[in-house]
Amino acid sequence: MSKILLQLREIKKTFQSGKVIYEILKGINLEVEKGEFLAIMGPSGGGKSTLLNIIGLLDRPTSGSYLFENREVSTLSTNELAKLRNEKIGFVFQAFHLIPWATAQENVLLPLLYRGKIDQEDIYRAQGLLDRLGLKNHINLKPAELSGGQQQRVAIARALINNPSLLLADEPTGNLDSQSSREVMDILTELNKEGLTIIIVTHDSEVAKRANRIKILKDGLFIE
Amino acid sequence: MTLITLKLSFGGIFYKKLRLFLSVLGIIIGVSALLVMNTFGESAKVKTMQEIETFGPEILMVVSGQARVRAGRAIQAEQTTALKLEDAQALRKISAIQLISPLYTGSSIVRYLGKNISTVVQGVNEEYIKLRKFSLIEGRNFLKDEVTGFKKVAILGYKVKRELFGEEKAEGQHILINKLPFTVIGVLEPIGVDASNQDQDDQVLIPITTAMSALFNVDYISGIFISVYKPELVPLIEKQVDEILLKRHRVSPKEKGFNIIKAEDILKFRTEASSLFSSLVQSISILCLIVGSLGVTAIMLLSVNERRREIGLRLACGASRRAILKQFLIESMVISLWGGFIGLFIGLLGILVFLPLLKYPLVLPWKPIIVSTGLTIFFGLLSGIYPAYKASKIDPAILLKGL
Ligand SMILES: Nc1ncnc2c1ncn2[C@@H]1O[C@H](COP(=O)(O)OP(=O)(O)O)[C@@H](O)[C@H]1O
Ligand SMILES: [Mg+2]
Repeated sequence: MSKILLQLREIKKTFQSGKVIYEILKGINLEVEKGEFLAIMGPSGGGKSTLLNIIGLLDRPTSGSYLFENREVSTLSTNELAKLRNEKIGFVFQAFHLIPWATAQENVLLPLLYRGKIDQEDIYRAQGLLDRLGLKNHINLKPAELSGGQQQRVAIARALINNPSLLLADEPTGNLDSQSSREVMDILTELNKEGLTIIIVTHDSEVAKRANRIKILKDGLFIE
Repeated sequence: MTLITLKLSFGGIFYKKLRLFLSVLGIIIGVSALLVMNTFGESAKVKTMQEIETFGPEILMVVSGQARVRAGRAIQAEQTTALKLEDAQALRKISAIQLISPLYTGSSIVRYLGKNISTVVQGVNEEYIKLRKFSLIEGRNFLKDEVTGFKKVAILGYKVKRELFGEEKAEGQHILINKLPFTVIGVLEPIGVDASNQDQDDQVLIPITTAMSALFNVDYISGIFISVYKPELVPLIEKQVDEILLKRHRVSPKEKGFNIIKAEDILKFRTEASSLFSSLVQSISILCLIVGSLGVTAIMLLSVNERRREIGLRLACGASRRAILKQFLIESMVISLWGGFIGLFIGLLGILVFLPLLKYPLVLPWKPIIVSTGLTIFFGLLSGIYPAYKASKIDPAILLKGL
C-alpha cells in the first residue's frame, strides 16, 4: 500500500475578473504522506485558501494533476467529488460554520445526512466524539450558547464523524484566544498522533510549530 | 426517516418564524378566499336547486304586471288589474294542463285569542296545495264547495300556526282575518322560502272567492299557477297560455299586463349570475395565490442568500447539488402548504360562520379543499424552483474565503 495520500503536480488556478485574468496558483507541486501534519504559511492573498479548496475537492484546478489516494480527481464530476468529500475529507474553518438552529450533536451528525440514514449508533458516536473533546455537557446546546473554543471543537467533531483520511483546517485558531487556540491545537496534535493526516493553513508560527512540516506559499508558489 | 434526519434536513424552515408568517400571508389570504368563495358557490347551487325543487320544473306561473326575474327570484314589478278570475277558467281548456289555481295575494292582520300577527293571505282554489306539492301536517285541503261557496276557511302556514297556537292543535279553531272569522281546517308542513321569494311558512291560504269578495273586495287576481303533465310540455303550454290571454285581453304582446315565469327562467338567471361571480372570484383568488407564491419566492431567495454558508457547508460535507435542490424545493412547498393549511382553517371558520348567517345550506366543501390544496402544492413548487436552483449553484469555495 502506498504511503502517499495525495499528490499535486503543476496545479494552476486562474480567476477571471472582467477582462483581467489573475493567476493565483502558478504551478504547485506537493506530496503529502499518510499520517503527516503539514502547515502552510504565507502572506495574506498568497493563495493558501485557494489551494486548500482544491485539495479539499471544493474547487477544481484550472490545470495540473491531482492524485488523491492514487486516483486522478481533477476531472471527476461534481457528484463524485461530493461523495469523496463526504467519505474522505473533514473540514475545519476559521469561522466554525455551524448551523445556528441545530444543537452541537445535530451539527456533528450533519455529514451523515448525505451518506445515508442516521441511526442510534451514529448518535452514540457523535456523543462519544463530543465527550472526548470535552463537550459532554454541551451536546444539546446551540452554537450561540457556546464559546468560540467550544464551537471550534464541535466543528472538529463534525469533521471527524465520517472517519476521514484527511483533515483540512483553514486558520482554525484565527478567531480564538490563545487559551482556546492551544486547546484546539492540542486536539489536532493528538489526532495526528493517532494517525490522521492533517493540513493546516495558519498565520501563527506558534501554531505552525505543532506540524511536522511547514511550507510557505507566496504569490502562488511554494518558496520553501 | 428519523427525527434527527428530518430536523437536519428541514429545521431551517422554522428558524425565522415572523418572516415565515409574513411570507405565507398571501397564500393564507388566497387559499381562504378560494375556499370560502367556492364553498359559497356550491352552497348557492344547492340552495337554488332546493328552491327550484319546491317550485317544480313542471310549473308555470302567470303573474300580473311586468314581472321580472331579478337576482334569480321572480319579482312582481308593478301590480296591474289586467288578470281576471275568468282568465284562469279560460286556461283550463288547454288539455295538457294538469292543475291550475288562481292566486290573489294580499296582507292582513290575523288574530287568535288576543295574539295579532301580520302575514300574507293568499286566495287560492282546492288544486293549489296539490299543484305546489305542499303537504299538510294537520287537517285537510279545501273542498271544491268551499271554494265555490265563498266559505271562510283557512289553511295556516307552519310559522303562522306556531305563532298563534304554539304546540296546540289549530284545526277547528276560529281565527280573525281582518276582523272576519275564519275556521282553521289545516296546517302546512314547514317549507321555507321558495323560488318566488316568499316564505311559504309565513302565509295563510283561503279560498280565492272569499279573498276577492269578503276580504279584499277586488275584481282581479295577482296570478295563476299552472302545472303540466310533463316538464317537456312547458314551452308549448307557455305559448298557448300567452296566446289565449292576449286574445282575451285584446292587447298586443308589447302592452300585455301579465308575464309567464317558469322554473327554468329562474335557474338560467341564477346560474348565469353565479358563474360570472364565481369566475371573477376564482381569478381573484388565483391572483392572490400567485402573488402569495411570489412572496414565498422572494422570501426563499432572501433565505438562500442568508444561508449561503449553511449551503456551502452542506456541500462541503458531501451534499450533492441535487440534495440541495431538493431541500429547498421541499422547504418552499412546506412553507406554502403551511400557509395553505392556515388558509383552509380560516376559510372553514369563515364558512361555518357566514353560511348559516346568510341562511345558505351548509355544504362540505370537499372539492374546494382538494382544489386549494392542489393549487398550493403546485404554486409552492413553482415558487421554490428558482430559489432552489440558486441554492444548488452556490460555490462551496466561499467557505474558505471572505467569510
Ligand atoms: N473566486 C475568485 N475570483 C477572483 N479572485 C479570487 C477568487 N478567489 C480568490 N481570489 C483572489 O485570489 C487571491 C488569493 O486568495 P486566497 O486563496 O484566499 O489567499 P489566502 O488564503 O492566502 O489569503 C486573493 O487576491 C483573492 O482576491
Ligand atoms: Mg485565506
